[in-house]
Amino acid sequence: MNEKRELWIGWWTLVVFYNLYGLLFFVITRTQPPPRPALEPSEIVRWFADRHDGLLYGYAIVFIVGGATAIMNATLAYTMRRMSVSRAFAYAYLLIYALATLPGMLLMGIACTVGAMRPDRDPALMSWLYDFAFLSFEGTMGVFLIGSLIWMVAVLLDQNGVFPKWFGYLNLCNALTEVVVAPAWIFQSGVFAWNGAIAWWINMGVFVVYTIVFLTLIRRLILREDFGTGPLPELRTDAAA
Amino acid sequence: MQQRETEAGRSIPGQPDMWAFVLFESVVFTSYFTVYLVRRTQSPALFLQAQAKLSLAVGVFNTLVLLASSWSIARCVQAARERSFSAASTNALLTAFFGLVFLVSKVREWASEIGKGYGFTADEFFSFYYFLTAIHFLHLLIGGIALGIVVRELRSPARRSLELIETCATYWHTVDYLWVLIFALLYVVR
Repeated sequence: MNEKRELWIGWWTLVVFYNLYGLLFFVITRTQPPPRPALEPSEIVRWFADRHDGLLYGYAIVFIVGGATAIMNATLAYTMRRMSVSRAFAYAYLLIYALATLPGMLLMGIACTVGAMRPDRDPALMSWLYDFAFLSFEGTMGVFLIGSLIWMVAVLLDQNGVFPKWFGYLNLCNALTEVVVAPAWIFQSGVFAWNGAIAWWINMGVFVVYTIVFLTLIRRLILREDFGTGPLPELRTDAAA
Repeated sequence: MQQRETEAGRSIPGQPDMWAFVLFESVVFTSYFTVYLVRRTQSPALFLQAQAKLSLAVGVFNTLVLLASSWSIARCVQAARERSFSAASTNALLTAFFGLVFLVSKVREWASEIGKGYGFTADEFFSFYYFLTAIHFLHLLIGGIALGIVVRELRSPARRSLELIETCATYWHTVDYLWVLIFALLYVVR
C-alpha cells in the first residue's frame, strides 16, 4: 500500500495540467503571448477567424479538464495543512484559487469561444469580446496576488519546515509582479499594455520560475512526508534517488 | 551569551533565505531597468525633455533620507548585537521616521507633478517614472511591516532574535539600494 499515492496523483495532476495549459494557450488557441490590444475592429474579426478551429477545440479541452484545478488547488492547500499554521490559511487559499479559475481561465475561454462561434456579428461586438477576454485574463491578477501572499505568510510562520523560507520570499516576489499588470487597463500599447515587456513578458518569466520552483518543492515535500503533525524529516538520499 | 556571539559572528547576516529574495528582486528590477534603458535609447529626446521636468533637489533629498534610514537600521542591528536593546529600539523608530518622511515626500512629489499636468499617461518617461517609484513605494510599505517585526522583537526579552532583526534590516537595505538605482536612472542619467 503506497500511502503517498493520493499525493502523487495530485502532484502529477499539477505537472500534467500546467504543461497542457501551456500547450492549449500558446500552441492550440494561440491566445498567448497576447496579441496587440490596439487592433482595429476589422483586424479583430480577422484575428478570431484566423484562430477559429484552435479557439473552439482548444477551449473545449479547457472546459472539459478545467475541473482538474480542484485537484491542483487541493494539492497546494495540502502543503499548508502540513504546516504548523492555522487551517485558515489552507481554507483561504482554496477559496481564493477557486475564484481565480474564473479570470485565470474560464472567462477568457468563454469570450474567445463566443467570438469564434459567431463570426458574423458586428465588429464592434467582436472588439468588446476581444477586450473582455484579455482584460479579464491579464487585468484581474489581484486574486493571484492575495493567494501568493497567503502562501508566503504560511511558509514564513511555519515551524514544520515544509518549505524553505526563501520560497516564502519568492511568493512575495511573485505577488509584486502581479501588481505590475494593473496598468494594462490604461495602456493600449507599449511596455505596460497587456502584451508589453513589463506587464506580460517579465511577469511570465517570474511565473514560470515560480511554478517550476513550487512543483519541485512539492515533490520534495511528498518524498519527505511522514504523515505526522510535527516537523517534516529531511529528505533521505535513497528516497530522492 | 556564547550562542549570541556565535550568531553575530556568522558570515551572512540574517536568514540566508532573505538574500535569495535580494537576488530575485535584483533580477526583476534589473529587467525593468533594462526595458527602461532600451525604450530610452529609442526616444532619447523625449526622455531627456521629460526628465528635465523632475526636481533633482527633491530626488537628492529623498535619496539622502533613505540613506539616513539605512544608517539608522545598521545602528539598530549593531546595538542589538551588543545587547543594547533600548538604543536598538530608538534606531528602529528613527528608521521608521525616515521611511515616513520619504513616503510623505514622494506623495508630495507625485501630487506636484500631477498638478503640473505630468500624470501617469503624460508621456513614456512619466509612465516609467510613476511605475518605478510606485513599485518601490510598495516595497517601502512592506518595509514598514519589517520594521514592526524588529520593534516587536526588541520589546520583549523573550524574543529578541538577532537573526530576525538582521533579516528585516537586510530587506530594508535592499529597498534602499533599489531606490539609489531608480534615482540614478530617473533623475541623474542624462
